[in-house]
Amino acid sequence: MNTDLIDQLKGQLGENGLPYALPIHPNLVHLTLGLFIVAIAFDIVGVFFPLEKSIFKFLAIPATRSNFFDVGWYNMLAAAIITFFTVAAGFYEILLAKPSADVTSAWGLQAMETMLWHGVGGVILLFLIAGMAIWRGFQRFLWRKDMARQVQWGYLLAGLGIFVLMFAHGTLGAHLGGEFGVHVSADQLLQLGENPNVLGV
Amino acid sequence: MLEYLPPLNEHNLPYPDTMHPIVVHFVIAMVLFAVVCDVIGYFTRNARLYEVSWWNLFFATISIFVAIVFGQVEAGLAEPYAASVSTLNLHSILGWSLSGVLSAVTAWRYILRSRDPKTLPFPFLIVGGLLTLLVLFQVYLGDVLVWVYGLHTVQVVEAVRKGVLR
Repeated sequence: MNTDLIDQLKGQLGENGLPYALPIHPNLVHLTLGLFIVAIAFDIVGVFFPLEKSIFKFLAIPATRSNFFDVGWYNMLAAAIITFFTVAAGFYEILLAKPSADVTSAWGLQAMETMLWHGVGGVILLFLIAGMAIWRGFQRFLWRKDMARQVQWGYLLAGLGIFVLMFAHGTLGAHLGGEFGVHVSADQLLQLGENPNVLGV
Repeated sequence: MLEYLPPLNEHNLPYPDTMHPIVVHFVIAMVLFAVVCDVIGYFTRNARLYEVSWWNLFFATISIFVAIVFGQVEAGLAEPYAASVSTLNLHSILGWSLSGVLSAVTAWRYILRSRDPKTLPFPFLIVGGLLTLLVLFQVYLGDVLVWVYGLHTVQVVEAVRKGVLR
């Protein structure tokens, strides 16, 4: 973002460039990714349940097929709800970002390209995750209500495709923090020629 | 020994980016969601949510050991500078401790579920609450290491390698 504009808030922002000590977006990301990935994973476990039955029996873990689909549904629903907040927090923090301008990331992108792709990707992923939750709901409550296998192959395939997108998207986000130093107090201090040892928590 | 490993990159890692903050998704999200499901399940008497909670806890318990493996590797390569050392130590100790605590909670849940999957005794909710506090504090410490001290970020690694930061 435009440094002059961000400086209008100078008095309210800390060393990390935010009005609070730790960025919120990367923490909500744990929830979005964890819930989404586990939702798809458990639906896969549910679909292949006939093959796993003997393993669960061997491990003496009682398991019912429909419970795996319960995890698939509730985790996906939670992922969809939380991701609105993840993306909202992300846009707030990207507006206040002061990345290093002279750095090129491991993927050969500069800061502005990385921020734009990460911003656009975030909105696309929000649409996809919300769409997946709705699709999952239709399968659970209407289309496949009385079927032993609650999810369609296409849904699982779409989930795996979204994993790939999430990997790329997450790596861009990691570059923003780890390579461009966005909202990292120590990196911001180093850019100013100061010693991060002054930081104390 | 070291010559058998890939060379360290600008994050001081033998692989492209830090892995520990990714693996911990599956501990943080799954533990917190398990507790949320237990609370909602308890007050709405929805036993189905207890199953969702159990499987999330089960997944979290497997994941925490993977998280510790990567955490230990990345802590070992972090080259923490003076200000960050005590936070890294506390994060490491609490991380190992949490693996024990989480395993114990999941083991207890396994027994409760084996006896009666339809009910959940209230004390388990309290333990879930305490587990949540421990996890949130551990997340806070990890956040401080990454977002305040910038361990494994290119600029900190560069400053440490140049010897200007120690």
